[in-house]
Amino acid sequence: MNINLEILEASFIYDKNDIKELNTKELVPKMVTRRRLTKSAKIAIYLSSQINSKNERIVYGNAYGELKSTQSILSSINAKEQISPTVFQNSVYNTAVSYLSMLEGNTSEIMTVSSGDITSLNILKAGAIKALDGDEIVLIVTEALNIDHIEDMNKCIDYLEVGVALKVKVSQKEKTMNIDSTNNQKYPPSVVHMLNIAKSYDKVKENIIEITL
Amino acid sequence: MTTKSKVYITTSTSISCAGNTNKELFSNICLGKTGIKNNKNYSHDSNPAIGTISSDLSFDENLINQCKIILENSDLSNFENTLLIVGSSVGGMVNTENSYFKDNHYKNVNVSKHNIQSIINNIQEEFKFYDNISFSTACTSSANAIGYGYEVLKKGIYDNVLILGVDSICHTTVGGFMALGVLSNEVCKPFDNNRDGMNVSEAIACLLLQTKKTKNCVEVCGVGYSSDAFHMTQPHPDGSKNAMQKALNCAKIDTSDINYINAHGTGTMANDTSEANAIESLFSTKTKVSSTKSITGHTLGAAGAIEAIISTMIIQNQTIPTSTNLIDIENKNINLSLETSKEDINYVMSNSFAFGGNNCSLVFGRVK
Repeated sequence: MNINLEILEASFIYDKNDIKELNTKELVPKMVTRRRLTKSAKIAIYLSSQINSKNERIVYGNAYGELKSTQSILSSINAKEQISPTVFQNSVYNTAVSYLSMLEGNTSEIMTVSSGDITSLNILKAGAIKALDGDEIVLIVTEALNIDHIEDMNKCIDYLEVGVALKVKVSQKEKTMNIDSTNNQKYPPSVVHMLNIAKSYDKVKENIIEITL
Repeated sequence: MTTKSKVYITTSTSISCAGNTNKELFSNICLGKTGIKNNKNYSHDSNPAIGTISSDLSFDENLINQCKIILENSDLSNFENTLLIVGSSVGGMVNTENSYFKDNHYKNVNVSKHNIQSIINNIQEEFKFYDNISFSTACTSSANAIGYGYEVLKKGIYDNVLILGVDSICHTTVGGFMALGVLSNEVCKPFDNNRDGMNVSEAIACLLLQTKKTKNCVEVCGVGYSSDAFHMTQPHPDGSKNAMQKALNCAKIDTSDINYINAHGTGTMANDTSEANAIESLFSTKTKVSSTKSITGHTLGAAGAIEAIISTMIIQNQTIPTSTNLIDIENKNINLSLETSKEDINYVMSNSFAFGGNNCSLVFGRVK
């Protein structure tokens, strides 16, 4: 079965080490909230602000979860120290999109997909299936892999921080662009399907993709 | 879109601290026999009550074994026309812990054994599926997986869906919930005034969802999703109420049609008060309520799937289980089940709530 999706909005951001321009101070004025945000949460909040989101249903995803929180927890356990409660609550895979929902007051359905290297492809598939209900769906993928000693585990990814957001709806029109899975610039494989779409997006044209299920 | 198919749970299997088969699980729930025990392996200075699987097989071997049981008990000869949907909160975290605690560095951590996808990687060494997807929304992971499975079958996109709710116990979850001050050193007491926390537990729970009716199958009638948009760990009753109402709307039934609610009922102060208030605001006292977590513990990402199996067996056996360990009821305006009883049961609701205010309610129905 194929479902065609129109890309209504697209945004992406990435850096080899540390994305800095996320407007977090403006987007999250309350310092007490801002200080609790993980990097993935900051990226998701920034991306959402770029695609004119209005409390749509969200399909979010990441392949590795909140690695910085995970690393902090493992260090605490190894040192026989108490785990930080805030770090633990920030360690679940749906952390970033949960902060986004709190900030935007979004009480809609919010899913978190984690499918390894095909995470963003599966976000597109899940988003397409949800969009059959007729509403506009926000799709977000983030990775924040810039943690201490990442070089011990990572030998192939150059861009350690990446985020992509798309707003989509079902379309009956023919596809105008392909879902390209090539990853020549060494981004996390988990983001490339959505990243390539966002990079190809042209807001003065129709942007229709075909999702094969 | 116009939906066409009905969705049925045609076979299921589970392994948890409460039993190595569904039959053992349901018997122990009805008899109030808990699988929770004190365990010092996960803390150097306390003795939390937790639930671990008792088996000669490893966790990964049990995972494969559970899939084989599904295949044997189904009308399928393989999974090549089946969508695999996994729900898990920690995936292969135990592998990363073992490597890091042994070496004190990450050089030998196998990334493909760390994340949620590691579960699918394991299974795909043994079985071939049409496609796969994993959801990780903490303690609603496998409830959301069932909801998604219901949607894709209802929309006629796939023919068969295998749901796997999977979480193994690890230092991260035991230590993390301990840090939050919500782990009990005793078997949990959901909805009791004297409750003092939850029991972290592990489980593998598998359900085959199909659009064909089979003997003794149970219908998945509806799903309701919502977000609290309130707090990372403190629940808001409006969120859970919203999920329950959406599930009823999806199933096209009223609150009065629900005979029993298998509550999320973790035994924490915050969850149980909030959930009881939400149930009270929607349902009359005709609807019975209980939590089965005093028997199974809180199996985290597997909870939605194992409680779907329990809900299925409640309908198949026309039996509502007792609330084990409930003595001093906090909210007397909901009808908490105080004994295992034979009843006429048409519809059961199962609630799952999670960190980040992620809520999912499922409705299951008797097939007549």
